[in-house]
Amino acid sequence: MKVTVKQWHPVAQWRWDMGDDHTPDEEGDVCGICRVPYEGCCPACKMPGDDCPLMWGQCTHVFHMHCVLKWTNTAASKGLCPMDRRPWSAVPCLLSSSVAFAEHRSFLVTADRKVAR
Amino acid sequence: MAASAALRAQVAAKWQESFNRLNRTEPGISGLTNYSHAWNLAREALRPMDISDPKAKPPGFSLEQVRHACEVLNKCRRLPILLEVFTADVKESFVWINREIDAYMAQYQETNDPVVVSQLVLRLRQWYLAWKPKYPLGSHLTASYTLNFQTHLFAHLPPEFAAGFKALCDLTLIPSESILPAQHAFLPSTSSPLATAMSTDMSSPSQLQTQIHTPTLFSAFDTLGLIDRYDSLLASVGYTFISAHISSTCARQWTKPVLPELRKWMTDVIVPWLVVGYAPGCKSAEEARGMLQGVGSRFDFWVNKCVCDLRTEEIFDIIIDYPESAGALEDLKECLQRVDQRAALVSALRKAQRKRLLHPAAETKVILSQYVATIRCLRIVDPPGVLLYKVADPIRRYLRDRPDTIRAIVANLVGDDDDGGEALLDDSEPVQPLQTAEVEDYTEPNWEPEPIDAGRDFRLNKPSDIISTLVSIYDSKDLFVKELQVMLAQRLLGVRDEEGVERERRNIEILKIRFGEAALQVCEVMLRDMTDSKRIDQHVQTQKPSIVHPTIISKQFWPSLDSSTDIVMPGQFQTLQEAYAKEFMTFKPDKRLKWLPHLGTVDLELELADRVVVATVPALEAAFIELFSESARWTVDDLRARVGAVERPAALKALLTWVDLGVLKEENEGEFILLETAEEGGHARSRPTAPVMAMEEPPIVSSQEQEMAQIQVYWKFIEGMLTNLGPMSLDRVHGMLKLAPDYDRTMDQLAGLLEAARREGMLVVRDGLWRLNK
Repeated sequence: MKVTVKQWHPVAQWRWDMGDDHTPDEEGDVCGICRVPYEGCCPACKMPGDDCPLMWGQCTHVFHMHCVLKWTNTAASKGLCPMDRRPWSAVPCLLSSSVAFAEHRSFLVTADRKVAR
Repeated sequence: MAASAALRAQVAAKWQESFNRLNRTEPGISGLTNYSHAWNLAREALRPMDISDPKAKPPGFSLEQVRHACEVLNKCRRLPILLEVFTADVKESFVWINREIDAYMAQYQETNDPVVVSQLVLRLRQWYLAWKPKYPLGSHLTASYTLNFQTHLFAHLPPEFAAGFKALCDLTLIPSESILPAQHAFLPSTSSPLATAMSTDMSSPSQLQTQIHTPTLFSAFDTLGLIDRYDSLLASVGYTFISAHISSTCARQWTKPVLPELRKWMTDVIVPWLVVGYAPGCKSAEEARGMLQGVGSRFDFWVNKCVCDLRTEEIFDIIIDYPESAGALEDLKECLQRVDQRAALVSALRKAQRKRLLHPAAETKVILSQYVATIRCLRIVDPPGVLLYKVADPIRRYLRDRPDTIRAIVANLVGDDDDGGEALLDDSEPVQPLQTAEVEDYTEPNWEPEPIDAGRDFRLNKPSDIISTLVSIYDSKDLFVKELQVMLAQRLLGVRDEEGVERERRNIEILKIRFGEAALQVCEVMLRDMTDSKRIDQHVQTQKPSIVHPTIISKQFWPSLDSSTDIVMPGQFQTLQEAYAKEFMTFKPDKRLKWLPHLGTVDLELELADRVVVATVPALEAAFIELFSESARWTVDDLRARVGAVERPAALKALLTWVDLGVLKEENEGEFILLETAEEGGHARSRPTAPVMAMEEPPIVSSQEQEMAQIQVYWKFIEGMLTNLGPMSLDRVHGMLKLAPDYDRTMDQLAGLLEAARREGMLVVRDGLWRLNK
């Protein structure tokens, strides 16, 4: 028997590429500012995805772009990352998917977790 | 002696006075003689005569003689005495009449023929007229005579006379009903008591008509004072007749109002009868109207009451037939304004509902549509909605206890009636936002007080549109929105063409107006995922054509898609998936795809040795048949091991799809083989070329199941607090739960969770207090 697929209408979920492929089934992480999952949208937005993208910091912390911009625009923020109080500087988006950055990040994430414990 | 002298003098004076009075100023005693003549003459003239005795002759006095005699008596001031004597004579002579009454009544007892009664009445009239003073002796004498005569008559009439009189009155109505003899044949052979009375009693109607001449009879009634005395009897005859007419002509006639026709019938049939009976001898229509005012309004009331009773009895069926039964509702509305039977209507309808609607055999959909029809009908009957509130309450409480109510309502909202059940809403109903109970605004210029029979809390349910009413069955609209999402997800994953999505979008636009933009935001995202998927797919296809056209969804915004059957697509599917995911990555470098392989559909073409099978199947079926292309024989368990976590029943079901298509065959228990050549007979169902749809609803966890999963998280807390602190209200439970870690529900959501727990029998609620169900 020969099986020919003529059309296939599968269903898939999109996820942000966070560079940590090892936990595909896990509940996604949440934005540290609004506590909404990355794949959701920030409180100011209605549509998730491209309309409400993420922003990566050099410190490897990730927030909804709108959330973190709102934060850095307040005087109280002093331009620091809300998580670790290091100066906030965003990583260009494309770079976020680069393998190098992912490795860098996963290293830091592991370090963070160790600190947390 | 002086005293006796005085006495004598007194007697003498008296005697002289009497003498003078009788003798007047005539000379000698001629005056006295004249008086005595006059007395005798007048007495003879008035003396009652036995008209049953043929020899008896009326005294042949001339009018002049009698008048002269009376003048004499009047001068002597003896007329009152004459009247007394006359009255005594009447009383004495009444035995003749009594004799005849007894004879007639005995005959009536024997024959039961009302004609006998009519004869009796006419005969009594003869007696009355024969005895009536024929000479102009003043109205006082006549009135006093009539009163006396009637008193004696009523004293002697036996109780049976009443029954006979009633029967007689019954007959008086019939001739007017059937002026043409031909109509007798038509006259309802149904239950009308009059009709049966006619067919048995009246062997020859024409004869009876001649025997009973209604106007004569009624004038006799009037003369004898029978109408006043038997007023209620006469009226009841009329009432019975009207009731019979209404129940024979109006029952189940709902299309147009019957009241106008009934009024015409009243004018044509009942009013003439009433005129004869209650307004005899009236000269003009004006006069008749004046005389009939009282009795006429009583009869009009009766008509209204009969119609009202009839419609009250039929109300449940009238509602079922709505809108074909609009006429009946108009009638009912009009009647209820005259007859205060609103309470009876409510209890009749509630009883019918309990018996015919609110039981397990009735589908939720049916209950809903009957509820909506009830709303519509009672709005016609009673615009303020008091009746509706009272009637709707049991339905609402019942619906709240049904597990699939929300689903049924939402399905109807989105027009998802699989077997074409009629939509609850018609297009004429304007789409408007959901209305919530609002505080009464006393400054409103059109403010009106509550109707007098409104129950408490009535204002909360003031007339609003149907959907608001349905949604308000539940405490929060949250449940609806959630169910709506689930259904939308199912439908979106089911549709495959652009129009389907467009239709859903239109639906959602309409629902947005009702539920508000914010509530349906999630649905909006789901719809946008659909268009985005399409756009992405178009782009990917231009880069690298593929047969894969995925729907890419935003995880957070779709109802949980059952991921327990997480399968791994084998063979070429895997390759296809990977290729597409790679293209996607280049198009959207910051995103990745996570496949939900258990969802979606596949169009397949199987080339077998002797035939080609085209089929559209769910993913699991496709995965299995792909495996069969590797090997022609598989056991269920091996197949399950290959595709990953699949429940055995689900796997069997998928395999049976292929068995039905004649591609596979179960050889041993749990072992399937591929039929490279079609089997003769056995599975002749295979249609080689026709594409077969083996589709089903995508496995999306219903919102109820989700709720059950969620309540498990908090159940320990809730159980604990209800055990320790006793029954609690919703807001207290909410307040307590806030102390628990990770509790982030709103009050509405909690209400939904508790409601779910109640459905599962874990909790009960009474008077707003939740307690454990023990």
